[in-house]
Amino acid sequence: MEPVGPLFATPPGGHGVPWLHALPILVAAPASAMLLWGLLRGRLLPAVGAAAAFLAAGAFGLGGLLVLDDSKQVSFCGSCHVMEPVVASLHADDGTLASTHFARGLVPHETACYTCHSGYGIWGTVDAKRAGVRHMVHTVTGDYELPLALKGPFDIDSCLGCHLGAPSFRAVEAHRDPDVQKALVAREVGCTGACHPAAHPPSALEGGRPQA
Amino acid sequence: MRLACALGLVALACVVRVAVRTDGSGAILFSFVGFPALAAALAIYAAARWRSGALRESAGGREER
Repeated sequence: MEPVGPLFATPPGGHGVPWLHALPILVAAPASAMLLWGLLRGRLLPAVGAAAAFLAAGAFGLGGLLVLDDSKQVSFCGSCHVMEPVVASLHADDGTLASTHFARGLVPHETACYTCHSGYGIWGTVDAKRAGVRHMVHTVTGDYELPLALKGPFDIDSCLGCHLGAPSFRAVEAHRDPDVQKALVAREVGCTGACHPAAHPPSALEGGRPQA
Repeated sequence: MRLACALGLVALACVVRVAVRTDGSGAILFSFVGFPALAAALAIYAAARWRSGALRESAGGREER
């Protein structure tokens, strides 16, 4: 049985008031009251109307910050049905690269998907947000194909960002091979496939449908 | 004005939904329903205020200076 106790509560440090969730509601409440008044009366005093517009825009801005931040959560990624098997496979510890990283705590458990798939650096974050909007469009329109596949090559800087400086990584004979190094630097090869196991089990990329 | 208020309330409902439970469907509502609703509400409100003369400087006001 898995040990329980306050130390194992997740997310770590997730105590106190969740302001990121509370603030949009606190700002939205007075704005809603003013807008409801305007809806019922058909008019608003100019000052009240300006306040309602300002507060509504503010609540929406805070909501945007919340979505930007909370969309890094594994639970967020797994909330779309097509991603459920992928998130479930993380917990399987089945020898795939993602589950191995997850089981050994080599990636933050709360943001495991985002850690590997966002790419490296600030542009990785920007790309991740753009990809997130694309994913939402695909989900709404149903315009996606199974099995799920990455659009373009995986950004191996996400791997190298952690592994590159590790002595254990540098000690591996294959990593010292000049040809391998040249191919990796030129992004002609990735980490998974020939050398390391697949990131996710193929069955998980079928979006829950039976594998062909 | 009623339309602007209704659209604003729709946008705020999307904000509250995503704040209570941040998941994929909430984010889709927030982005594809809430944002256009808020933009439309603000545009309609601004247009209504413009038509009522609130954002224009009156000729009388200039003369007084």
